[in-house]
Amino acid sequence: MNTIVNSRIDEKVLYEKLDSGLKIFFMPKPGFSKKYAVFSTNYGSIDNNFIPIGEEENLVVPEGIAHFLEHKLFEEEDEALFEKFSRLGASVNAFTNFNQTSYLFSTTDNFYESLELLVKFVQSPYLTDENVEKEKGIISQEIKMYDDDPGWRVFFNCLRSMYVNHPIRIDIAGTVESINTITKELLYKAYNTFYNPSNMVLFIIGDLSFEKIIEVVKSSEKKFEKKEENIKRIYTDEPKEINEKFIEEKMVTSTPLFYIGFKDSDLNLMGKDAVKKDLITNIILDLLFSPSSLFYNELYNEGLITSNFGAYFTGKRTYGHSLVIGESHKPKIVYEKVLNLIDKRGEEVLKLEDFNRIKNKNLGNFLMGLNSIEFIANNFVDLYFDDFIILDYLDVMEEIQYNDILKRFKNHFTRGNVVLSIINPI
Amino acid sequence: MDLKVDKIKLGNGINLNLIYTDKFKSNLLSYYIVRPLNREDVTKNALLPLVLKRGNQKLNTTLEVEQKLDELYGSNLSLTVNKRGEKHVIRFTLEWADGSYFNDDSYNLKTIDLLNDIVFNPYLENDSFSKEYVRQEKENLKDRIEGKINSKRSYAVDRCIEEMCKSEAFSLYSFGYVEDLPSIDEKNLYEHYKNVINNSPIEIIYVGKYDEKLISHIKESNKMNRQNIIYLSREKIDYDIEEVNVVRERLDVNQGKLVLGYRTGIPFEENLYNGLLIASDILGGGPNSKLFRHVREENSLAYYIGSMVIKYKSILLIDGGIEFENYDKTTKIINEQIEKMRNGDFSDDDIEISKKAIKASTESIKDSTYLISEFFFSQQLSNDFRSLEEVLNDIDNVNREDIIEASRHIALDTIYFMSK
Repeated sequence: MNTIVNSRIDEKVLYEKLDSGLKIFFMPKPGFSKKYAVFSTNYGSIDNNFIPIGEEENLVVPEGIAHFLEHKLFEEEDEALFEKFSRLGASVNAFTNFNQTSYLFSTTDNFYESLELLVKFVQSPYLTDENVEKEKGIISQEIKMYDDDPGWRVFFNCLRSMYVNHPIRIDIAGTVESINTITKELLYKAYNTFYNPSNMVLFIIGDLSFEKIIEVVKSSEKKFEKKEENIKRIYTDEPKEINEKFIEEKMVTSTPLFYIGFKDSDLNLMGKDAVKKDLITNIILDLLFSPSSLFYNELYNEGLITSNFGAYFTGKRTYGHSLVIGESHKPKIVYEKVLNLIDKRGEEVLKLEDFNRIKNKNLGNFLMGLNSIEFIANNFVDLYFDDFIILDYLDVMEEIQYNDILKRFKNHFTRGNVVLSIINPI
Repeated sequence: MDLKVDKIKLGNGINLNLIYTDKFKSNLLSYYIVRPLNREDVTKNALLPLVLKRGNQKLNTTLEVEQKLDELYGSNLSLTVNKRGEKHVIRFTLEWADGSYFNDDSYNLKTIDLLNDIVFNPYLENDSFSKEYVRQEKENLKDRIEGKINSKRSYAVDRCIEEMCKSEAFSLYSFGYVEDLPSIDEKNLYEHYKNVINNSPIEIIYVGKYDEKLISHIKESNKMNRQNIIYLSREKIDYDIEEVNVVRERLDVNQGKLVLGYRTGIPFEENLYNGLLIASDILGGGPNSKLFRHVREENSLAYYIGSMVIKYKSILLIDGGIEFENYDKTTKIINEQIEKMRNGDFSDDDIEISKKAIKASTESIKDSTYLISEFFFSQQLSNDFRSLEEVLNDIDNVNREDIIEASRHIALDTIYFMSK
């Protein structure tokens, strides 16, 4: 057993790797009522082209299959899984994003029994032609719900205009057409490839005993015959250039919604380097666009934006983008103003005193985030798959220098890599 | 650990509620100002937090306020209105990382002063609010009100309540009405603000670490000498339903939104209300509920379907997203499942499962400064001073007969359906 301690924030993480290849991390939270476990595989919607385990040829799977599989793992041969968790007083859920599929539960009682259930159900798929067919109706309704959500559509249109080939263009749940081509056989291929313990992580947080956790996981995990350490994922080359400058659509909505996206070309970073780039870019976005920025206040006072305005950067090894988001009656003018802002010299728009203020803010926000069991669990797993432990976050934050900000501003925010997506009212 | 509140009366109609805990890395301070929900004031109430956020006598502009928040280690300010039954609550909350992390003793006090200034010392020009701020925030509020259509699910729920409670204050939209905006200006809004400050019940809730110095600081800065405090009456919950009101609204959407509104007439003050909470949970509380199992899992009709109880009006709502053509099929299954509840067609297991679910969510309140604050405010609002343990105990004591009895009170009033 290993321990990682950060005394400054008064938190620690315990760690153990089992013989199966599965890694377990545990963060003690004495005094908390809620206990939370998340079992995640490094497999999301962007992993749609891969060499199935034990095969030679690559396989391109239908859009939305990772998410479909997430739904289907809740299927059990005997009693409904939801019922088993409910009986223990635990609340179970799952989500799929671009990069991971996660299964989680929270409970105040019967934690270890619930943990056993979690490990067992994720490791024992029960798929039949019939239950795969049944799920298509449910997921179709989920897709249609998102189709009616202007906030979701303006976001995906923005991704599609930034990326030419990268599967981040694909809707996580797929389309009604694509999910109708999903079969039991395809689901098993995806499952066997990506749900190998060495591609997964189990994170647990709460007022619990790590010895007991390890004991429960050891006795409930499945013994895999083939240990696959090296999954072959295939990504088509993505050009540095954007796909199209502008995309517009009409929907039932009130004020027009907009996303301005800057596509990142500084890719292939992992661990500390990736986190540092992420932090640097988000500090720049805060300096430029947060409610404490001059730009925000000017546009707000002119009535060009509302308080629903903000910006963030997100990225992984193979993609990255900064998004400036809001609603406006004149989105194209906001876009022009954003471009005029990024045309300026870094020293002019990014002030050293403001930089220090934003660092203060980040420090406080991170500390407050550590109050939330959900915040920690979700971020832990996300960062873990990038090869980073969340406890080191503050240290990286403090390493960031003013010069890093200026350099990144110059390279990332240009007129060459920017797109505009708008949803207008019908 | 049980949470204890230390309640201190600061003046007529204003209380300070202190909840000590050292479990969190932050502290939270909330002001809850309670108004009656009525057509005349609803828009003005909604506008107040927007204008107050713009500036105070020390920090005149949003830019200064926001920069101050950054400096105070990203203190998190949230101002909003929401309706609790037929009361309109204006809430001001600040949460900040505890000063012990920054070796700064005065920092906790600075954040407390900031929130106090936002609530009580607004930026003024010629003895009224700033004309420009009010003009801008009216525009923003207009966008906000019109924006209710953006989330189809919550829009459908609001529309069902609006139709169902047509002649009741509860039908009012929390953020008010666009047609009220032209008659509001910086002068009459400031008059309204003074009224609100002078005669509303105010609850101040502090959650986190504190010492004598901090407490006396809060006490001193919030002392008020007020005469008449408005009386807020309990909502009417008994209504006769002559016939079921069916409302169909056409919008260019991909998915139909179905909302069914039921009257139960069971006041939250009565023990039977606990039976209603469990009945609603068995019916549509979670993935183990009857609606989830029958509408979603067995018939693949919906992705989401569930039920909830609106406490102060004793209303039960069911909402789901379905294909347009599955309206009849879905409502039929819903009716069948409610009938089963009335006939006692549910297992002891169902009861236990629901009790556990309610217990888990009640216990989780202890893990969030914000939920702790909301819990104690809600107690004040409903004159219910049971501890969390007592609340859980009452849930535990519900038996099968209570659930059947509560289910028999569920009467369909309004069906709302959004379709193409």
